[in-house]
Amino acid sequence: MYEALSAIGSVMLDPYLLMLIFVTTIGGIVIGVLPGLGATTGAALLLPFTLTMSPVHAIAVLATLYVSATFAGSITAILINTPGTSAAAATTFDGFPLAQRGEAGRALGIAVVASTIGGIFSIIVLCFAAPMLARVAYEFRPPEYFALTIFGLSMLASVGAGGAVRNLIGGIFGVWLATIGAERVTSIERFMFGNYELYEGLSFVPVMIGLFAISELLVQSKKAHLVAEVISLKAVKLPSKEDYKRIWRTIARSSGIGTFIGILPAEGATVASMIGYSEARRWSKNKEEFGKGAVEGIAGAEAANNAATGGAMVPTMVLGIPGSGTTAIILVGLMVHGLRPGPYLFTEQVDTVYQIFGAMLVANIIFLAMGLYAAKLFARISMVPTSILWPIVFALSVIGAYSLSASLLDVWIALIFGVVGFFARRHGFSVAPIAVGLILGHMVEVNLQNSLKMFDGAWWLIAAQPLALLFLVLSFLGLFGSQIVRMITKQKDS
Amino acid sequence: MRPLVIPGIIALFSVVIIYLALQLRTSPPLIVGASMQPRSFPIFLMVINLLLVGIMIWQNLKNPPEPVKMEGPTTWISIGLFALFYILTTYADFFIAIAAVVFLLSVSWGERRLHVAGLVALTVPLTLFLIFDEVLKIRFPRGLITNWYYG
Repeated sequence: MYEALSAIGSVMLDPYLLMLIFVTTIGGIVIGVLPGLGATTGAALLLPFTLTMSPVHAIAVLATLYVSATFAGSITAILINTPGTSAAAATTFDGFPLAQRGEAGRALGIAVVASTIGGIFSIIVLCFAAPMLARVAYEFRPPEYFALTIFGLSMLASVGAGGAVRNLIGGIFGVWLATIGAERVTSIERFMFGNYELYEGLSFVPVMIGLFAISELLVQSKKAHLVAEVISLKAVKLPSKEDYKRIWRTIARSSGIGTFIGILPAEGATVASMIGYSEARRWSKNKEEFGKGAVEGIAGAEAANNAATGGAMVPTMVLGIPGSGTTAIILVGLMVHGLRPGPYLFTEQVDTVYQIFGAMLVANIIFLAMGLYAAKLFARISMVPTSILWPIVFALSVIGAYSLSASLLDVWIALIFGVVGFFARRHGFSVAPIAVGLILGHMVEVNLQNSLKMFDGAWWLIAAQPLALLFLVLSFLGLFGSQIVRMITKQKDS
Repeated sequence: MRPLVIPGIIALFSVVIIYLALQLRTSPPLIVGASMQPRSFPIFLMVINLLLVGIMIWQNLKNPPEPVKMEGPTTWISIGLFALFYILTTYADFFIAIAAVVFLLSVSWGERRLHVAGLVALTVPLTLFLIFDEVLKIRFPRGLITNWYYG
């Protein structure tokens, strides 16, 4: 614990890092308030700018953007009924009605306080839970890792907007993308079509930029001529004593819910905020106010979605399994900077890990101040015309895709994946499973190969390992649990 | 017919990948040992994909998906501009291509103030070029402008 406190404290003594966190928090809020951009697209666009930074600074910047953009989605959710990020969708249910009643400042005040408490709570849990989980993960061998990645992939069924089958198809497509290039053991070239720039496989960065930024650009092109109506905002104020009395239980509950949901591989802030909101409603004495401007509704959704950011960092850093599109990009950032995600990160780079957590903590405090004093200004930014914003995103995307390995092929890959991602989204597929599948693909194949070697080809022995069996059972339940429960209930009823 | 179009495309893709995987060289048993051949994993994935496609067809026939509206002209123009970007980058210059596409995207998305679109098309690529070239030390591909700049 001393190590954690000292590393987190060292963030305060690094003025350059503090400055980066400050600037990124502002950038994150700007990205969060711009409808359509969001934390994932923002992280994909920011990643190339971190290439020359030290690993701590680079990952701290990405993590800071993650927490601040997740919070900022609530600003436009409250003021223009358009969530800046999908994680803030539940905030619109009560935030916008409260703003329509002329209490936009109060709604924003509750959102920012709940977000900060949720975020800080999850980082404290992260500091305790991550090393503990890392100690368990030390014992993992290839069969356990293989089963764990299968669990992560099975959880893809619930990532994003598509249905379970569509998400799994997307995930498998992502895993297949990871097989492009020379096979690790035999060096046999797979699906390269004679292009030797693909020998090392597809670069993650251009694929992420394509799937998240370029595809979003094409999605936004359909809304190019829409104009949003803004609710005027007098001032953002801290919740009153009466408000605190009404929301403190909700914030505490949602912070716990958000952190737990964030920790589950492949779950994320959007699911957390929806559950946080519905639990706030279930436990509230004023259920009839929900949907009309209930303060518990705003607090429940906002505490949960920000708590999920810290929670989602646990599987990302300890197990190398990202919980969402944004954590997938943070994971890519770790790899690009030569850090090996997994339990060894907590022995080999423990200072780096805690400094990243410290940066997230500082970001939470900075966005509290920003949210209270500059929300009005940030809300104005959301009015930047799409006809100016998205051409800028295009320029950032193509230069960002090029910059990782100074290769034009990466630019074409970003554009192709942008178009593929757009059409996939149009037909009900989410792009997050493709991204997560691409990242996990290598892990799945390598651990399956190593497991087969360990057991001399007897693949069924993988399920004979207790931990591996546990993950496989969890995967099965994750995929078919709800259907089994439904079948049992049907039988009981009949 | 409509419920079968997307599953059909995915099934066709899976079959093509299985065919391509079957064309891959096999490795001597001495190298792969008790593990699998490089072709096995992609084939395994695509077989699972085909099973999922079967479930998707069943779901689509049970509850036909809502028809997807055709993309509007702005979307098609934007995709077309990506093609223009490829041509201009290949035959002129990376930054000329970015500036041209930024300008045309801006106009096609409804920006009526041409001077604003022009200003964005000039300043954004220029600023990004300076940040990436001077600060991040990234060297951009040769073209009409970069040849002149790099000498």
